[in-house]
Amino acid sequence: MPEIMELEAEGDSLDNFSSLQIKGEEEYQEQESDDDDDDEDEDEEEQETVTLGFVEKPKDRHSLLRQLFPSKAGGVPAWLDPIDLPSEKSRVCSICGDPLQFVIQVYAPIAEKESTFHRTLFVFMCPSMACLLQDQHEQWKRAPNKPPRSVKVFRCQLNHSNPFYPSEPPRHDGTDKPSTVGAALCSWCGTWKGDKVCSSCKSARYCSEKHQMLHWRLGHKVDCQQISISSQSSNSSTYGSRTTSKEIDKVANKSLWPEYEIINEDEDSFNTETSEGNNYSNSVVSKGQLDETMKSLLDNFEGNDDQKCWASFQERIAKAPEQVLRYCRDTNAKPLWPMTSGRPSKADIPKCNYCNGPRHFEFQILPQLLYYFGVKNDPDSLDWATIVIYSCAASCEVKMGYKEEFAWVQLYSPSAGIP
Amino acid sequence: MAERGGERGGERGGFGRGFGRGGGRGDRGRGRGGRRGGGRREEEEKWVPVTKLGRLVKEGKIKSLEHIYLHSLPVKEHQIMETLLPQLKDEVMKIMPVQKQTRAGQRTRFKAFVVVGDGNGHVGLGVKCSKEVATAIRGSIILAKLSVIPVRRGYWGNKIGKPHTVPCKVTGKCGSVTVRMVPAPRGAGIVAARVPKKVLQFAGIEDVFTSSRGSTKTLGNFVKATFDCLLKTYGFLTPDFWRETRFTKSPFQEYTDLLAKPTTKAIIFEEDKLE
Repeated sequence: MPEIMELEAEGDSLDNFSSLQIKGEEEYQEQESDDDDDDEDEDEEEQETVTLGFVEKPKDRHSLLRQLFPSKAGGVPAWLDPIDLPSEKSRVCSICGDPLQFVIQVYAPIAEKESTFHRTLFVFMCPSMACLLQDQHEQWKRAPNKPPRSVKVFRCQLNHSNPFYPSEPPRHDGTDKPSTVGAALCSWCGTWKGDKVCSSCKSARYCSEKHQMLHWRLGHKVDCQQISISSQSSNSSTYGSRTTSKEIDKVANKSLWPEYEIINEDEDSFNTETSEGNNYSNSVVSKGQLDETMKSLLDNFEGNDDQKCWASFQERIAKAPEQVLRYCRDTNAKPLWPMTSGRPSKADIPKCNYCNGPRHFEFQILPQLLYYFGVKNDPDSLDWATIVIYSCAASCEVKMGYKEEFAWVQLYSPSAGIP
Repeated sequence: MAERGGERGGERGGFGRGFGRGGGRGDRGRGRGGRRGGGRREEEEKWVPVTKLGRLVKEGKIKSLEHIYLHSLPVKEHQIMETLLPQLKDEVMKIMPVQKQTRAGQRTRFKAFVVVGDGNGHVGLGVKCSKEVATAIRGSIILAKLSVIPVRRGYWGNKIGKPHTVPCKVTGKCGSVTVRMVPAPRGAGIVAARVPKKVLQFAGIEDVFTSSRGSTKTLGNFVKATFDCLLKTYGFLTPDFWRETRFTKSPFQEYTDLLAKPTTKAIIFEEDKLE
């Protein structure tokens, strides 16, 4: 009798049938309520092939130039389209006004369309945590007005035959050259287009006033005189155009993040056999003593939703703990969220600005990258749980140049201990 | 390499090793795939921290667990615990198969119940359910490590040797179960029921008398009450704590914050007091 009472208390609809079975004490097995459905769904979702990105130190200084179509993190971006770089408005943090810093670029061509033979996505963000906190509010705001963001993603794509690169694949032996020279870049950050010129020496170029000021203070004041003298005599400019593969200028900004190459591997190659014996004999609580006592115990210690979400995130990461990027362009791919809070719904992701088509998840950046970048761990230094990039599902082709995509940042939720 | 790029360049789209097409092994021969056979344990030793606290611990800026407890920082990575408490032992207390009725029969999963402790003042408890036993055990060990609490020990009488029992009579309550722990002389051993005895052993308490009341059949409440009791050992104000505390800055405290507002219950504020 008491057994049947317990079953009814759990509210399981099939209890009526199970109570009709004749069960001994030893064979009693608990009927679970349906709150574990999430776990079941998660297990079934693992069918998509996710490609992981790992950082590695570049082989040499020349292996990450743009004609080799690299995927890289840190340092300066290897622009795919070297002429039509992002505009002045889009290259600054809309919250503080500083030019954005390069985080990562992913070379992700799509084989099906001719226009996406070459395709790279560039991610930039403002290194200030205060801007990122403000950005969190902004990313929830929806269209039509474009909210000011401090994290920006740009997509660029080219045909197989294009004016910038030869049609043969690069040979990776040091002799590859792009077909055209690129635009001059800022002498300080080496990232953005240097449209402003230093008025005194006429050879140093800058993307913004802030960078000009920084460079002036940190050495250009001294060099400026000498350059203007030397350039009057000979018409050569030493700054700016990092066009030939031989010349790689060191950019003046020392606080750029360290440069790495991104290597990709399938996640499946890390799956290992996990079968161990099912017979564990040391159990303090004997088998017969199951039922509600054990259930209440388990309920108390199983952890709430947030902890479960974090635990499954960690399990998935544990297959390859050094990953920094997770890439999956399938239509039903879902990003791996570390937290339950701060997730966007379908409506929170805006449509593509150019073709008005839907945006789908393409890849996400994981916080291991912060470790590899050597970001300091002060209270106000940069920290995020994940950055998820949504891009136009059709990878639309409007005109040349760079198109903005949507980035979603999830931060660790502050708790009582952390102010 | 040349043939791969040249002939197949048209179909594959793009040169070299881009993302999104089931990335190839690559000309570099990184050997990540090759390491599979060697043993997966080496990957586990290399821990890349994901949280800021993890990065601080990996750098070595945080040397002891007590620093984390002092500022009530949430620990999200179990490797933090492993780095700070290398002698942490774990034990599986129970593996329980639970079933859910589906249209195609019953779906069985396993719930693992693990207690971790270093026998020297730290215990944790974790539960995880999974389709495979090994996964459930691994997951519950991780959860247990994240829930480690400090336990204060004291003396029954003479302060000779190491502390061996609870410092005073403490009681913990959860649901209807109240557990009272009373200091015991050396050699008394842990006088408690089977499950809380295990927990107390992992905590490092050698002698204690316990007394419980309420429906101790509800094991969950019983163990939670024991845990609550252990938590309270550090909450009990004894004369040793009468001295004014010197507060230190938390690793996450912002400077601007504390300079701006005067705090009455200054948890994190550096003050110099005359001793």
